[in-house]
Amino acid sequence: MTQKQRLVFELNGTPVDVWAFPYQTLLDVLREEAGSSEVKYGCGEGVCGTCTVLLDDESVNSCLLLAPQAAGRRVTTVRGLGTDGELHPLQVAFLEYGGSQCGFCTPGMLLAAVEFVRAADTPSRDDIREAISGNLCRCTGYSKILDAIESYVASRAEGEGRDG
Amino acid sequence: MYPPEFEYVAVGAWEEAVTVLSDLADEDPRVLAGGQSLVPMMNLGLAGPTHVVDLNAIAGGQIRADGDAIVIPALTRHETLARSALAQQSAPLLAEAASLIGNLRVRHRGTIGGSLAHADPSAELPAALLASGGEVVTAGTDGGRAIAADEFFLGFYETALRPAELIREIRVPSATPGSGSAFVEFVRRSGDFAVVGIAADVLLEPASGLCLGATLVACGVGDRPVALHDAASLLLGTEPEAIIDSVAERAAELVDPHGGGGVSASYRRHLVGVLARRALEHALERALEGAAERAREARS
Amino acid sequence: MDSVRTRRALRVVGRSISHRDFEEKVRGEMAYADDARMPGMLHGRVVRSAVPCATIRSIDTSVARALPGVRAVLTSDDVPFNAISEAVTGFGMDQITMPVLAGSSVRYQGEPVAIVAAETPQIAARAAECVLVDYEDLPGVFDPWEALDPAAPSVHPDGNLLVAWWIRTGDAAAALAGAPVVVEGTYRSQHVDHAYLEPEGGMAWIDGDGVLTMRVSTQVVEHVREVARIVGLAQSRVRVIGSYMGGGFGGKEDMTVEPYLALLALHTRRPVKMIWSRQESLLARPKRHPFTMTYRTGATREGQIVAQQVDIVGDAGAYPLLSPRVLFAAAVCAAGPYRVPNVDVNSRAVLTNNVPTSAFRGFGAMQVTLGYESQMDRLAEAVGMSPQEVRRLNYLREGDVLPTGETLPTYPALDEVTRAAVEAMGSGPETGDPRHRVGRGFATNMQPYGRTVFFADHASAWVGYEPDGSVTVRAGVTDLGGGQAASLAQIAAEVLGAEPDRVSVHIGDTSLTPSAGGTFATRQLYMSGNAVLQTATELRDAVTPVAAELLGAAAGDLLVFAEGGVGVEGTDRRVTLTELVSACEDSGVDLARLSTFRPPRGEFDTRTGRGKTFPDYTFGTHAVDVDVDLDTGRVRILRYVACHDVGRAINPQRVEGQIQGGAVQGIGYALSEEIVIEEGNNQSSLFADYLIPTAADVPDVETIVLEVAEGKGPFGARGIGEAPIGPTAAAVANAIAAATGIRLTQLPFTPERVLEALRSAGEGGV
Repeated sequence: MTQKQRLVFELNGTPVDVWAFPYQTLLDVLREEAGSSEVKYGCGEGVCGTCTVLLDDESVNSCLLLAPQAAGRRVTTVRGLGTDGELHPLQVAFLEYGGSQCGFCTPGMLLAAVEFVRAADTPSRDDIREAISGNLCRCTGYSKILDAIESYVASRAEGEGRDG
Repeated sequence: MYPPEFEYVAVGAWEEAVTVLSDLADEDPRVLAGGQSLVPMMNLGLAGPTHVVDLNAIAGGQIRADGDAIVIPALTRHETLARSALAQQSAPLLAEAASLIGNLRVRHRGTIGGSLAHADPSAELPAALLASGGEVVTAGTDGGRAIAADEFFLGFYETALRPAELIREIRVPSATPGSGSAFVEFVRRSGDFAVVGIAADVLLEPASGLCLGATLVACGVGDRPVALHDAASLLLGTEPEAIIDSVAERAAELVDPHGGGGVSASYRRHLVGVLARRALEHALERALEGAAERAREARS
Repeated sequence: MDSVRTRRALRVVGRSISHRDFEEKVRGEMAYADDARMPGMLHGRVVRSAVPCATIRSIDTSVARALPGVRAVLTSDDVPFNAISEAVTGFGMDQITMPVLAGSSVRYQGEPVAIVAAETPQIAARAAECVLVDYEDLPGVFDPWEALDPAAPSVHPDGNLLVAWWIRTGDAAAALAGAPVVVEGTYRSQHVDHAYLEPEGGMAWIDGDGVLTMRVSTQVVEHVREVARIVGLAQSRVRVIGSYMGGGFGGKEDMTVEPYLALLALHTRRPVKMIWSRQESLLARPKRHPFTMTYRTGATREGQIVAQQVDIVGDAGAYPLLSPRVLFAAAVCAAGPYRVPNVDVNSRAVLTNNVPTSAFRGFGAMQVTLGYESQMDRLAEAVGMSPQEVRRLNYLREGDVLPTGETLPTYPALDEVTRAAVEAMGSGPETGDPRHRVGRGFATNMQPYGRTVFFADHASAWVGYEPDGSVTVRAGVTDLGGGQAASLAQIAAEVLGAEPDRVSVHIGDTSLTPSAGGTFATRQLYMSGNAVLQTATELRDAVTPVAAELLGAAAGDLLVFAEGGVGVEGTDRRVTLTELVSACEDSGVDLARLSTFRPPRGEFDTRTGRGKTFPDYTFGTHAVDVDVDLDTGRVRILRYVACHDVGRAINPQRVEGQIQGGAVQGIGYALSEEIVIEEGNNQSSLFADYLIPTAADVPDVETIVLEVAEGKGPFGARGIGEAPIGPTAAAVANAIAAATGIRLTQLPFTPERVLEALRSAGEGGV
């Protein structure tokens, strides 16, 4: 019978030391062993993006990673954005522009957006649209999410709010 | 929703992987590379291996030129392949095909070796490999071998890989100067699996603009990628723009697709014609751009 | 003392302020149904039928029970009252009951047959697979038209016609016979899934008082009564708490996990969590009713409609659920927002062995929009008028009588919404590509808000001042992400003068919050909004004399409750709410109120098809420009403008968000979403195969929010939750027709269907 194995990784800047079966997905480990209920299950197929986390700064489907694959890696969830309890400017923008309704896609959407904006110089609205096309939202119709991200990009260009 | 129980083995080298897999010959092991096909299947209860052999610790290496070939390590992630300047330049069909796969999260993890070994008939990379005239190089109990693309894909999710044999790298001939290629696909929704995809490559004679070589390969039209030789060969010795339409028409005649997944066989066939035309147009454009670029360089 | 009701005086209502729950959502701190756990918690799983129509010969649970870690395997024998039967129609019609767990037969693929509870979700999944059910396949019926044939297999004992509504006014047959212009069309819609990102789920436990408690992602906590009956407990001994939902759209309106959680928690005496997989949800959860709608519209040569004859057949699937009400709403709205002197509507719900169908945003009134708005454009063409002209000629006007004989309750701002949407589109779309066609279309809809008035619908709210002047609201609403709780906070803040961030709203707990009725039928703003408005107003009126005395106000002075205090208008005399509360306590004035909003009731006579139906309607027009690729048939939406008259926008940003979200769901419905069921077998149970739009598939929906005519909601608001999903499909169909001359009538308008239609007309192809 398979045993639980020790799994050590970094979660939002903090070391995590848990026991998990190798057949648990990273999503499951984050939610059940590491207390990260902000990472959500949406489909288990890698299609919807609600389980998005950053693995060493790259967005991945946590539902499609097995627990051992996180060993020694840096995992970032939405709670790793912002600093000292202060919201990340993109989170502030989401609130200001109404980028969340039911909020279920929001954690994944924010991470996808942060990843994109970090690497993009002067993205157009269409560039942003493409960048979030892998994260499904059923409530907002996407416009206010784009508004929020655009506003964040603009404020960053003006030198305010360096991202975390 | 939850992968069933399995034993987990991580390996650090190809030879070790082969040994582990042969030792598990009586069990039901599966290999984990990107996991973007295997893990969904486990989540859905469609795969229940006894063992999962994780290849991710095997040293990958870079995409590199090796003589007149481009070598791509099997564990190269799709996004890495898509963004590689060397691949874009010298293995353009593979780079473009990789860029079209799924969403960014899938591309961050999925590997070319995994995609080729999985051999989904709708997948882009098998078609691109076939169109590029490439081969897979394996690690196996007999040491390993090279298998040409046109001998590799045998059927529905079926390849020539033997038990305990793994793809360790992919080799494609470096793109010939004077050639242009394009991979075009039709998806019903952004990020979807392709309904039909076409990989096209044309080689033009610099002075005359006549076609010296052409390749057309389709995915999503059968149990494996299909090379459309009889259509592509129509281009030889011609000025391609003039006959693209008839080539595309011929391409559509050559395929015998199945219906399914909300799309009928006749629509797939129709798409082959439409996409073949578009792919050839793009490929041609790029070949001509390339020729103009070289002419400029030669003059300066 | 009613100055707070005047429009100019509103300070909180009408502002796009955020609410606490949204901040929790962006932080990732919102606790949804799956985000709580308890020590000793077990994991539950449903065993579902793999076949659509069969007798159950036997169920062998022995293998499942023997698996280490399995704590319960329950079948129908273990269900004290194995029947779910709400008074669905409200007319006292005979019920068909739906079993909690199928006992002798299954009627649709995915029907629950057994439930298991185990120490881990993995073990529960294994155990579910090990429950061996021996099925004997029976012939089923999978098409509603076939099901209407008397020779067809019967899904339930009394034949497959579940309900037939009809609405008649005048003599449509005669009017059509004599009409110089008659346009006909048959329109078909498909099964679609709610596809909320949060799957169904919840957790149940027995609390310290022995009360069976569950926390569930649900739109209706009032199902507690049903749960109590099923497990044989007194209703006061069961408690349902509604967590903030990750989307609902009607899919969490019927019970989901509640009865299974209850049974497993009671059986094991341990907390039980059950979360459904996406694939399970796509397979087995109720869908939108596919409709076949046959329209005959008669008109004069000048384009004036003289008659509408409509026949609607909806696939109810294997169990009724809310089918009778859906087909009723369809019947009431079938003729569209038009003056039609002669109307003949037949609307039938037909049972089949397909997945049951039930509530989904729009609720029947949504599907018929494709029918009546396609007809209007066809009519326009037939009489040589523009789509806008022919509509303007026929739109309902204030005080008009609807086909049911009732007078339109409020002013229908139809001209206004249409003009606004069409004008905002500007000059028409153009393309230079010979292999593309572009065109423009629009559609106008009417969507009811509030439940039919022959229900004794009501909503209660409790509102109170705390000693520090902050405000607490308790209301049984559930929040599906549309700001249901937030809107109540805004209303309470407005009336009672508290700052919005000093108002707390506690929602959805049958033991602690007064019943509000569920969040559906776009009723919450109308019902609970009015309940909070009413209750808060009563409270404010009760404390006003104390405030007046404190402020030394004279008769005729106006007291303004605002910004955390009360002042005399035109002076700087002011007291804080804290001071007011303290004075009230000294004076023995109660600082909390519980009140119930009961809208006027009405009666509907099913024999005559006449009477009072819905409290009111929301009107809107959506306009779209489309591009059609002649080679592939793909339709792209280039521009989208959506305009609705919302009466009063309690929170303008949230209203826009509802419109944009609804319209994009409408785009999915129009172009790509379909649950394909073949001979009762669901072919679309992967999320990869169920194509909801991504950001790259849709344009920005430009919204125009009009506040023209007061509705029945608080401060004159009209419900906006459902209306925006209605016009899209028809607007797209009309735009495709304008672009290509092709009139599409079968949803969704996939590239293949469009190409097929183009070919038949001789247009498309390489």
